[in-house]
Amino acid sequence: MPHPLEKRVLLEHAEDPALRTLDGYRRLAGGYATMERAYREMEQDEVLKELEDSGLRGRGGAGFAMGKKASFLPRGDMAKYLCCNADESEPGAFKDRELMQRNPHQLIEGIAIAALAADAGHAFIFIRGEYAEQADILDAAVAEAYEAGYLGKDVLGCRRDLELVVHRGAGAYICGEETALLDALEGKRGNPRLKPPFPAVQGLYGGPTLINNVETLSNVPHIVRHGAEWFRGFGTEQSPGTKVVSVSGGVRRPGNYEVELGIPTRELICELAGGPEPGHEIKAFFPGGSSSPVLTAEEGLDLPYSFEAMAEAGSMLGSGSIIVADDRVSIPHLALRTARFYHHESCGKCAPCREGTNWTVKMLERMVRGEATPLDLDIVSSVQQNIIGHCLCVLGDSMAMPVGAMVRKFREEFEAAMENPELALDPHAVVQAPPETLGASA
Amino acid sequence: MSPARREVTITIDGREVTAVEGEMLHDAARKGDVEIPVFCYEPKLGDPVGACRMCLVEIEGIPKLQTSCSTPVREGMVVHTRTEQVRHAQNAVVEFLLVNHPLDCPVCDKGGECPLQDISYGWGPGKSRVIDEKRHFEKPIELSPLVAIDRERCILCYRCVRFSQEVSEDAQLQLLERGDRTYVGTFDDRPYVAPFHGNITDICPVGALTNYTYRFRARPWDIEHAGSVCTLCPSQCNVSFTVRDEKVKRVITRDNAEVDDGWLCDRGRYGFEMFDAPERVTGPRPKGGAASWEQALDAAAEGLRRAGGKVAAIVGDASNEEGFLLQRLVREALSSPHVDSRPSRGPRREVLARLAEPAISARVRDIDTADAILVLGTDPLHSSPILDLRVRKAIRRSGARLAVATERPTALDGGTEAVFRYAPGGATAFLMGLAGALRDGNEEAPEAGVADVLREAESVVVLWGERIGREDVATVKALLDVAATLGLAGKDGSGLLEIPDTTNARGLREAGCLPDAGPGLAETAAGMATEEIREALIGGELSGLILFGADPLRDFPDTPAWEEALTAADFVVSFSMHENATTAKADVVLPLETHAEKDGTVTHPDGRLQRVRPSASRPGDIRSNIAVLSELASKLGLDTGIDSQPTAFAALTEAVPFYNGISDADIGGRGIRWQDGPSAANLPEPGGAPAAGSPDTQRDSASADPVAGAPHADPRRAASADPGPDAPLTLGTYRDLWAGPITELNPPLKFLTPRQRVEVSPADAERLGLQIGEIVRVSQGGSTVEAQVQIKERVPAGVVFLAEGVADGNANALLNGGPVTVTIERPSEARA
Repeated sequence: MPHPLEKRVLLEHAEDPALRTLDGYRRLAGGYATMERAYREMEQDEVLKELEDSGLRGRGGAGFAMGKKASFLPRGDMAKYLCCNADESEPGAFKDRELMQRNPHQLIEGIAIAALAADAGHAFIFIRGEYAEQADILDAAVAEAYEAGYLGKDVLGCRRDLELVVHRGAGAYICGEETALLDALEGKRGNPRLKPPFPAVQGLYGGPTLINNVETLSNVPHIVRHGAEWFRGFGTEQSPGTKVVSVSGGVRRPGNYEVELGIPTRELICELAGGPEPGHEIKAFFPGGSSSPVLTAEEGLDLPYSFEAMAEAGSMLGSGSIIVADDRVSIPHLALRTARFYHHESCGKCAPCREGTNWTVKMLERMVRGEATPLDLDIVSSVQQNIIGHCLCVLGDSMAMPVGAMVRKFREEFEAAMENPELALDPHAVVQAPPETLGASA
Repeated sequence: MSPARREVTITIDGREVTAVEGEMLHDAARKGDVEIPVFCYEPKLGDPVGACRMCLVEIEGIPKLQTSCSTPVREGMVVHTRTEQVRHAQNAVVEFLLVNHPLDCPVCDKGGECPLQDISYGWGPGKSRVIDEKRHFEKPIELSPLVAIDRERCILCYRCVRFSQEVSEDAQLQLLERGDRTYVGTFDDRPYVAPFHGNITDICPVGALTNYTYRFRARPWDIEHAGSVCTLCPSQCNVSFTVRDEKVKRVITRDNAEVDDGWLCDRGRYGFEMFDAPERVTGPRPKGGAASWEQALDAAAEGLRRAGGKVAAIVGDASNEEGFLLQRLVREALSSPHVDSRPSRGPRREVLARLAEPAISARVRDIDTADAILVLGTDPLHSSPILDLRVRKAIRRSGARLAVATERPTALDGGTEAVFRYAPGGATAFLMGLAGALRDGNEEAPEAGVADVLREAESVVVLWGERIGREDVATVKALLDVAATLGLAGKDGSGLLEIPDTTNARGLREAGCLPDAGPGLAETAAGMATEEIREALIGGELSGLILFGADPLRDFPDTPAWEEALTAADFVVSFSMHENATTAKADVVLPLETHAEKDGTVTHPDGRLQRVRPSASRPGDIRSNIAVLSELASKLGLDTGIDSQPTAFAALTEAVPFYNGISDADIGGRGIRWQDGPSAANLPEPGGAPAAGSPDTQRDSASADPVAGAPHADPRRAASADPGPDAPLTLGTYRDLWAGPITELNPPLKFLTPRQRVEVSPADAERLGLQIGEIVRVSQGGSTVEAQVQIKERVPAGVVFLAEGVADGNANALLNGGPVTVTIERPSEARA
């Protein structure tokens, strides 16, 4: 049974394995009825209007209004594309994985309806390479949908074609950036493109392209089925709807929880996810994945969990992934861990990100080894400022913002770590012993 | 063609600048004398990528800084490039770029001419905060035998990779790994060997890519830059010679969008070391040993005088002035009408005059905007390499449609919408068929595919190879007929553009080096053409020969006949840059200047007069060619009044009516097309059919049956249905880009020296049991060459190809002026 604080829309019936199959989806969730109604009875503009009125904001990180984005696509007879961004790779985010694994048809139906809104004839699901099991599930579901006539030529006899291809990425975080995703899909090196032109105007193979996150598209059938008003009944004025939130880190019950946006953050972390282990306290948390500036417990726990509240607090809701750091976590190590991820994943195309992530890692490494001075802290801060706003895409900012926030908010801890690195030992780092030690003990 | 774009006014750093709508902000700023630093931006490479982030500027109304390389200007835009926010960003980017850069400027070849160095001084923070270890690579290593790569210096600007991917389209250079581990390389570390790859050293904004030919040879403060024109092929690219101690040390591009678009091929870039090759003729050399200039010229004059009027001259590689002087020498001092500048046959004067009409001529720039391009009877990559890039650019950036009609598969085939492969000798029939298909729209015609590409196009550029004119007197007429059918004369941006066989073919023809035309294509007393000269030497009607920059034993068809002719000649004067088989048979050898040494003009195939300027000193006892010709003329009793380039140029422009009034200043650094000059209207009327008894430089019988003796019933079709085991193989030949002294005499390019390969179709290979790589003997009549078998899918059955001009197995040995069939056998079978 779901916790009373949850509000399950996307994850309704999620426990039932039958939901994965077409029959189960139809039986349990009334699946594809909405798509049939949309294809048979609705015009492109009606679907678009419903999506725009719903105020659905992108669930991938940027939070841009989905209906508005779809409305940017030019009209006319040309090849248009829809891409579902399933390259969920940010540390802390695992909600799309759950949605695809448990309810693949909800996504396919969402894609079909969004394709109608965007007038796209070809759709792709670009799925993270490591999500092999989910990709297999999607492949099976797509095959079922083709079989049943929801995909393919002349869908539902409505003189509209929709081809859907599940494309497995090769495991680069950067391919979750929408233009890098397009390049990778085209068979090129997955590097972000210069914007403008935006994908809505010139995207995949040069054609207008709508790119949406898995969760965003999974919301579409529900909005079209129940109407924008119904959707706006959940959440806040600026953050309508429900949100699947991944909670991880120093909590007793990590996992995905679907809640109404605007729920107090403390309820999410301390009630749904069980709060910190006994005897420990929350020191800080990332409210929206590893790219969001950390909030201290005092700053963040009492904020409503919504796009606007997080932005106002100087952070962001991002993809809706909370990572909790309890009082055992060394912030300098956390900063280093974060920076290492972005350094590893930087594509290298633009200088501030390529060199900034590399330099930051080197400086933080010196700090946790005790080979730095407070002057280096100023340099680290200044380098983060030099990255922000100067990069080709948001990857560089994604490191600079959380690392910058950690240095700003926990400066004493960095200074203490420089003085005495043993004090700052990261318990997680201890658990992860070097491989040769493991081999020797085995 | 795009309509003229609107002008807009923008404000940059408080000044108003007029720019063209849609132009990138970086370029517009330049017009207002505002320099915005860039690394990755290079318009030659196509669309901006915005990777380096160096050009960030503040635009009012946009909260974030924008890259000026990728922001098109809009009316009323207000831009700041020197605010605190922009300065902060510029400092930051320079600092980032230097995080991993070794700062080894004192030992770096680029130091002193390095954009990274300049921008670090101009826009950087001025001090370093980096104390961490920088990244390390093995360095320098060979990216190719000609280019060294130092990956530690690389700032990953993407320029070289974009060049390889999007300009030369060889796709060999890649970025490997990612993030700060990214490096430039090739698949499996194979050497980057491609005909244009040297350009990456020009566009590299740091010292990461350097030429082995220039490493540690000079520093920027030791050198001078001398602008000139490369005359190693008809492209006549604009170059700048890097000169130290009066020697050429490097050749770099001197952007001229009208000619070369700012690129150079590797021939032009690395071909300069043969200027000092041991084979160089460095002084006058009469038979029997060295002599003073006085003695040598006396010997030459004496020998020519003795031959009476029975002297002919053939010009190969020469400037307009040299050609003009030489034809005067022959016509006026030696009273002989026999002058030619073509290796084989070619169209008559009146046909050339029609081809020269401005309305029907295309400019190089027209390729950029053409809706359709036809490449006919030539492979630009081999014959005029820079135009290969130009055609690729037109397809890639402007969506031009390409059709190729050639004997041999070309490097451009991959980008075509229609390919027509005719059998060697089939160009005339193809053109006649094409004109028919264009007129009647017959979709069944074999030429329909090509016709479809051309028919709908608003602008059409036809790149045609001079060598189709060898085929038949009717060939170029058929080409003119196609041009008329397409209405090229009336279409803006349309026309014909010839790719000649020799480097200054157009200039020499217009200067009067033709058997039936004097300067300005004027009618003149009839003389013999190249092949008639050869036969007359053998037959004894001629006894003296002047060769100027021509090597018949290497470059002209029918080597055995030329051997015979040179042996039969009583007296041969050979002006030559290098010793070769021809100079070995000459009675007097006189040295020639290279294009780095000579002073003169050349005329591009599109009519552009360009100036070759002396940049380096002449080695040994070499003298100015103009002065030598002038002195030889005076020893023969002709006072030309010419003793220098200016006097020669003045005489030339006076003698060629459509060059009248063109001054050295008009030519300047960029050249001027005479069609745009003051006297373009002076082009002579082509005149009607040649008067009875006028000389025919070609086989007359040919016009009745264009390919008499060709092995196939339908010469337009190369493939025959079911060839028997003994079916003859038609020989097609081509001039390989790397054949000749360019690779043999240039140490850095030696590794590219081509060996003779016989290209056969898979069907013929199977029929004859040939294996890839085996050595076979290819024979025609009594002549045989050895070649290595290469089986090529795109070679039509029934045809084989051999390269001309290679050192061993030169295909010219098998040619005899007509269509040729060959047999192939294994050496063992031949012995048996």
